[in-house]
Amino acid sequence: MHDPSAFHASHPPIGGCFVVDPARPLLGAGGGLPSFGATDLRSGRTDLMAVAVARNHPARAGVMRDLTEGCANLLGPLGFGTGPGSGGEPAYYVVCPAPPGPALTVSPKPWPEAALIAMVLRPIAQVLCHLAVKGVTHRAIRPDNVFISGPGKPVALGCGWAAPPALHQPAAYEPFYSLMCLPAGRGNGTTADDVYALGCLLIALASGIAPLRDLDDAAVLRRKLDVGSFTALAGDLRLPPIIGDLARGMLAEDPDHRPTPAMLLDPAAARGRRVAARPPRRAQRGLTIGGMTAWDARTLGHAIGAAPENGVRALRDGTVAHWLRRGLGDAALCAGIDDIVRQHPTGSVDDEKVTDALLTLRVVGAIEPLAPLFWRGNALWPDGLGPAIAAAKEDPATLGFLEEIIATEAIGAWAVLRADRCDVFALRAEARGHRGLLRARLPAGGMARLSYALNPLLPCGGGLAGSQWVCSLADVVPAMEAIAQSAGDPCDADVVAFIAARSPQRFDIELSALAAHPGPGFPVLPWLRILARLQGQYTPWALPGLARRMAEQAGPLVARWRNREHRSAVEVRLVAAAEAGLFAPMIALLDNTARLEEDAAGAIAAAAEVGRIDAILQRIEHGAHERAALSMRCGQEIAAGLGLTALAITLALAISG
Amino acid sequence: MRGKPTNQKGDGRGIVWIQGLACGGFVAMAPAASLLIGALSAPAIAAWMLDRVPGRPVARVVFLCGAIPGVRPLLAFWNLNVADASTAFALLSDPLVLVSAWGAAAFGWLMCQILPLGVRGYLEITNSARSVLLRAERETLIRAWGLDGQ
Repeated sequence: MHDPSAFHASHPPIGGCFVVDPARPLLGAGGGLPSFGATDLRSGRTDLMAVAVARNHPARAGVMRDLTEGCANLLGPLGFGTGPGSGGEPAYYVVCPAPPGPALTVSPKPWPEAALIAMVLRPIAQVLCHLAVKGVTHRAIRPDNVFISGPGKPVALGCGWAAPPALHQPAAYEPFYSLMCLPAGRGNGTTADDVYALGCLLIALASGIAPLRDLDDAAVLRRKLDVGSFTALAGDLRLPPIIGDLARGMLAEDPDHRPTPAMLLDPAAARGRRVAARPPRRAQRGLTIGGMTAWDARTLGHAIGAAPENGVRALRDGTVAHWLRRGLGDAALCAGIDDIVRQHPTGSVDDEKVTDALLTLRVVGAIEPLAPLFWRGNALWPDGLGPAIAAAKEDPATLGFLEEIIATEAIGAWAVLRADRCDVFALRAEARGHRGLLRARLPAGGMARLSYALNPLLPCGGGLAGSQWVCSLADVVPAMEAIAQSAGDPCDADVVAFIAARSPQRFDIELSALAAHPGPGFPVLPWLRILARLQGQYTPWALPGLARRMAEQAGPLVARWRNREHRSAVEVRLVAAAEAGLFAPMIALLDNTARLEEDAAGAIAAAAEVGRIDAILQRIEHGAHERAALSMRCGQEIAAGLGLTALAITLALAISG
Repeated sequence: MRGKPTNQKGDGRGIVWIQGLACGGFVAMAPAASLLIGALSAPAIAAWMLDRVPGRPVARVVFLCGAIPGVRPLLAFWNLNVADASTAFALLSDPLVLVSAWGAAAFGWLMCQILPLGVRGYLEITNSARSVLLRAERETLIRAWGLDGQ
C-alpha cells in the first residue's frame, strides 16, 4: 500500500487547498467516473469530492475557466489538478462538492407530478439558467448524475466537467444529431441539449421506466429518427399531463423549438407554449442505402452520412434525386441535391475518397441542416474535434479520418451549409488554424500538436505518460527530470508537441530549430534552450539528471572546438555545469559563437601554417640538386675570391718591392 | 627574330677573332714574353679549353692561382734589359718557376673541387637542423588543432 504522507509530500494540494483522500472512494458520486473524498485545507470542509479524469478523456477546460461561481443544486468545479491516485500512481482530479445524497434511481414507482416539478424540473431549470448565463452547458443530465438529499429536497446536478461533454450520456438522453457523433466528439452542444436530457429524465422518473433501455445506441438512434424523440421515448407510456406536454416540447428535434430553462421555471406557461414544427414529409416507399431504409429526408441524410460509399453511388446514379422527386415529392430539395451533385467535381483516383467525403458532407448538410459533420461514415461536432482526437489516440483509423477533416478544412465547408446556425467566419478561421497546426513541421506539428492545442487539460503522452500526469508547462521539466533519473528517454516527439501547444508563441525559434535539426543526431542546443527557459520560468532548481543526459548528447557540439586544449576545457566545464543541473551555463559553453569563431580562425591559421611547413619540408627534401648546384657555384666563387685576393696581395708586394 | 641568333653568333665569333688578333699581335710584337707567359699559363690554358661551364669558373681559379707564382718571373723578365727568347728560356729552365706556377694552378683546381663539397656539407647540416625544427612545430600544431586528417 502507498504511504499517504509520501503522497502528500509529492503532490501538493490541488489549487493550494484541496487534498484528495484516495482511500475514501465515493461510490456512484462521480456520474460514472471514480470519485474520492476531498478536504479543503482552508475552510476545513470535508464534504467535497474529487472526480478522477481519464487520461484520454480530458476535463472540460472551458467550464473550469468560465464556471467560477457556485450555484445552488449544482456540483460545480472548485479546483482541478494532480493528486494521489488510488493505486499509488498520480491522477488528475476535478474537485467539486460531494453529492448531497444518493443518485436518482429509476424505480418502478413513478414520481408524482408535483414532486417532479418542484424537486426536479425547477431546480435543474434554475441551474441551467445559471449555466446559460455563464455560457457553458452541463451535458451530463442523467439519473446516475442527479442527486437528492432527502424527501422533499431539490435535486442537485452532478459533476459534468471531468470528461468531454456527453461522453457518458446514455443514447436515450441525447438528441439524434448528437447521438450520430463519436462519443467523444459530441461537442459542448447548447443549453437546448441539456433541456432535451432533462425532458428525458422527467419521462423516466414520471413513468418509472428507463426509456429505451433494451436497445443499443444504433437502435435508439434509428428509432428516434423513425418516429421522433418524444414518440420513441414516451410513445406508449402514461405520463402526467403537464409532464407529457412539457416533455413533448423539451424533446423537440429542433433545438430552437425547445423551451428555454427560464421558461421551464414556470411549467404552466411552458406547457402552453406551442411551436409549430412542420411534420417531416414521409415517402410512400423507402429508399435503402447501406442497409438502412430511409422514409424521410432526415433518415436519408443519416443513411448517406453513415454509409457514404453507397450514398455517393446512389447520388451519382440519380437514385436519390429520383426518390426525392418521386418518392418524397420534395422537388425543391431534389433540385438542390441535384445541383450539388452536378457541380461537385469527380476527383482523381488519388483524392476520390476525399472528394466523395466532401460530397457526402455537403449533401447531408443540405438534406438535414441539424446534422453534424459527417466524414466517411463518422460524425462529430466541430467543437468536439479536440476530445475526439484525444480519445482516438490509440485508434489509427479514427485518427486518420479526423486528420482528413482537418487537412481538407471540412469544418469550414460544413459551416457554410448551416450559415444561419453558426458563425461561418469563426469556424472557417478555426479550420484554417487547425490545418496550419497539422501542417507545422514535426515534431512540433501534426495531430499530436493539435490534440494538445485543442485539449488544454490533456496530459502529455509519450514517455511522460508512464508514471506522470503533466498538464501544464510548469510540470514538464520536473517530469522530464524524473524520467531522466530513471534512465528513460524524456525528449520524445510528444513532449515537443505538448510544449509547442502549451506555449504557442514563446518557443517558436527553438521549436523551429528542433524541427529543422539535420540528421539523426540529438538536437542538443534547441533542447537546452527550451529547458533553460522552462527552468528559468518554472523550476529554478537543479535538474542534474536531465542536464547530465544533455551533456552526454553534446559530444558533436563539443567536437566543434578544434583546439584540443579549448575542447578539453569545455568538456570539463560542461560536466561541471551538468552536475550543477543548470542549463543556462551549458548553453553559454556550447553556443559561444565568438569563441567558436576565434577557434575556427585559429584552426584555419594552424592549417595554413602546417601547409607552409609542409612546403618548406618538401622543398628541403627535393632540393638536393639545387643545393648541389648552389654549393658548386658558391665553392668556385669562394675559390675565385681567394685566388684573386692572393694575386692582388702578391702583385702589391711585388710592386712595392 | 630569325636573324638575332645569327647576329649573336657573329658577335661571339667577332670577339674570338678580335681576341685571336690581339693575341697574335702580342705574339708577333713580343714573342719572348709570349713564350714565357704561355709556358707559365699552360695549365690555365688547358683548363680554359676543357672547362665548358659558362663563365669557366674552374679555368678562372686555375688562372688566378697559377698567376700568383708567375708574378715574380714576369717582373724579372720585364726588368732585364735583354728580353729575348733566350732569356725566357733561361727563366723557364729554372724548375722552381714552372713547378710553382703549375703547382699553384693545380692547387686552384683542387680548391674548385673541395670548396663546393664543404659548402654542400654546410648546407645539408643547416637544412637538416631546420627540418627537425619544422617537423616538431608541425606535430605540435597538428596535435593542438586536431589536423590529423589533413
